[in-house]
Amino acid sequence: MNCAEYREAIAADPSESFDGGAAHAAGCEECRKYRQEMQALDEHIARALALEVPALRMPELPPIETGGVKRGGKRASSGFRVSRFATPPFWAGLAAAAVVAAVLVAGIPQQERSTDDLVGEILAHMDHEESSRQVTSVPVATRTLDRVVSPQVADMDQDIGLVTYAMSCVINGRTVPHLVIQGNKGPVTLILLPEETIDASVPLSGENVHGVLLPVGNGSIAVIGQREDQLDEIGDIGRKLAESVEWNI
Amino acid sequence: MHTSADFERRQRFERLVSAFHPALYRYAAWLSRDPGIAEVVVQESLLRAWRSLDALREDEAAKQWLLTIVRRENARYFERKNVNMVDIDNLSAAEAATIAETGEPDLDDVREAIYGLDIEYREPLVLQVLMGYSTSEIAELLGIRQGAVLTRLHRARLKLKDIISADGCRIALRDNR
Repeated sequence: MNCAEYREAIAADPSESFDGGAAHAAGCEECRKYRQEMQALDEHIARALALEVPALRMPELPPIETGGVKRGGKRASSGFRVSRFATPPFWAGLAAAAVVAAVLVAGIPQQERSTDDLVGEILAHMDHEESSRQVTSVPVATRTLDRVVSPQVADMDQDIGLVTYAMSCVINGRTVPHLVIQGNKGPVTLILLPEETIDASVPLSGENVHGVLLPVGNGSIAVIGQREDQLDEIGDIGRKLAESVEWNI
Repeated sequence: MHTSADFERRQRFERLVSAFHPALYRYAAWLSRDPGIAEVVVQESLLRAWRSLDALREDEAAKQWLLTIVRRENARYFERKNVNMVDIDNLSAAEAATIAETGEPDLDDVREAIYGLDIEYREPLVLQVLMGYSTSEIAELLGIRQGAVLTRLHRARLKLKDIISADGCRIALRDNR
């Protein structure tokens, strides 16, 4: 490590927790002075950042129905998978998509409780992020897309569609990429879940929510449209994603 | 009437919020640069956290989980309200109060310099110095590479050093130790 490298590193981390820092400083008086300067600056920064905090005002906490997520006045609990499957057009759409056809072949898997929780989280999140599903031709900034996706996805098909929304979101306690692409029949939401392992595809259905949660490697991806007539395209997008996505973690 | 499970849930939530409220408020305040907005963002974040509390599997992860919610809620606030970014040269009374409340002119100079940093430099600095996060943890929270975090932190401190020196700040960095 030379002086320039050391100074760059110490300005980024004045605690000098990086490799080789202490050894360099031991033999360089100028760099020791620089370190001292940065550490002094940091003390002032720490004091300056410590704003006075107002008293905690606890918000009024609404009652929570445990074991499920409310959607459109209906309770989405561990049993809601059955009611979703009872809608014939949904099945018809799924059957047309190769990737979702796998669900039919395999039958309805015995879902773990954790998968139901995950599905509930995804559906609840779709409620929160309703404004993300806009019809637009304006792509999200490449920088934003890289920031949201690159840390968790090693590779992804770049021709998947026009990405118009990218945000890091918390689902199931994990920060994950939430994208929206413009499909032929409207916006399609993609939620990439690199750490959520599922055994088989799970249909996703709710108010303005028609899609599927797909197993992809050790993770999964939710592909969601707003209307039933998007299901063919959702199946196609899901298949492409399942083939192209490689997780980085 | 609250059930026992509901009571325990509330107890858990209040314990976590009490522990992390100062960090959440300061993070929100430095993100938004407005104490009023920070309070709104924190309130909204607490409600969101309450609804999603069952998703938090381990309390050890609560701080990062809550900070992530605050970060998202802050972004949501600015999207929803279409609020313009704060103009450092035209501070409102509340904003001016944020950066000039210490009664120590030297410290106020540093606070004002931090206040004037772009968010991409200010945020990792807050996470590192105020929250005690490592650069890898900051990278994870911000969804950027660790190298980018190091670059931003390095540049942030150099900018602060330049601003403070140019303003003739009375802080004697070399004489501090």
